[in-house]
Amino acid sequence: MLTGMGFKKVINMAGGIKAWNGNQAVGPEDTGLYLFTGAETLPQVLIVAYSLEKGLQDFYVSMTEQVSGVKARNLFDNLARIETNHQKRLLSEYRKETGTNPSKGDFEQTHVVRAMEGGLTTEEYLKLYQLDKENETEVISMAMAIEAQALDLYQRTADRSSAEDIRLALMQIADEERAHLKQLASLLE
Amino acid sequence: MRWLQFFRRVNSMDAQAARKLMDGFAGAEFNLIDVRQPKEYKAGHLPGAQLIPLGDLEKRSTELDPNLPTLVY
Repeated sequence: MLTGMGFKKVINMAGGIKAWNGNQAVGPEDTGLYLFTGAETLPQVLIVAYSLEKGLQDFYVSMTEQVSGVKARNLFDNLARIETNHQKRLLSEYRKETGTNPSKGDFEQTHVVRAMEGGLTTEEYLKLYQLDKENETEVISMAMAIEAQALDLYQRTADRSSAEDIRLALMQIADEERAHLKQLASLLE
Repeated sequence: MRWLQFFRRVNSMDAQAARKLMDGFAGAEFNLIDVRQPKEYKAGHLPGAQLIPLGDLEKRSTELDPNLPTLVY
């Protein structure tokens, strides 16, 4: 149908979702979209994205305190570090966009709101994934599921954005989530 | 009726190849369309997929850029 409408390159994924063995996102189209009203400026979008990364980082840090095994603790530490690096990138983008230079502490105190990456709450994620916190494979799988959910949220928000700068920024963040997914997948190998 | 649509070739690839293709798109734009029903989408979908049920596809195709590669499932 799409080729008849002028679409240049259409590819059908044979087997559909049943054949897909990668991560999936769940929820209706508007999951998490309450976080983005569509009226945000680019710096405001960066603040929301930062808040989401921070939410996930705090979640991983809280997990390090709840697990007893050294391996699991190190893993949660690593996951928290991935989010910290992403926050650094977003803060640097914010500074560039606004021409201001707030410290990390000032920025967080002034702007950051409590939120969780992907638009679900910590409790919702834990309920959804029934996590065995000491099991390395389960922890990584859950982290991948959250990243997939985040990628999905950023991409859906980008699809709805009419402002080009915001759309591109959201797509870049979505791409970074794709990179996180790859990074996490490599931990499973 | 757009008869031409029945004579144009649509590439098909398995899920593994589709995944590789999407990995290769890193940084580039593409359309990823889920043409199933909202209930199925809600239960699980490819991250970043846009839901356009098959019955709405013709009407809503203007939301998409036809020049970009378009992966459909």
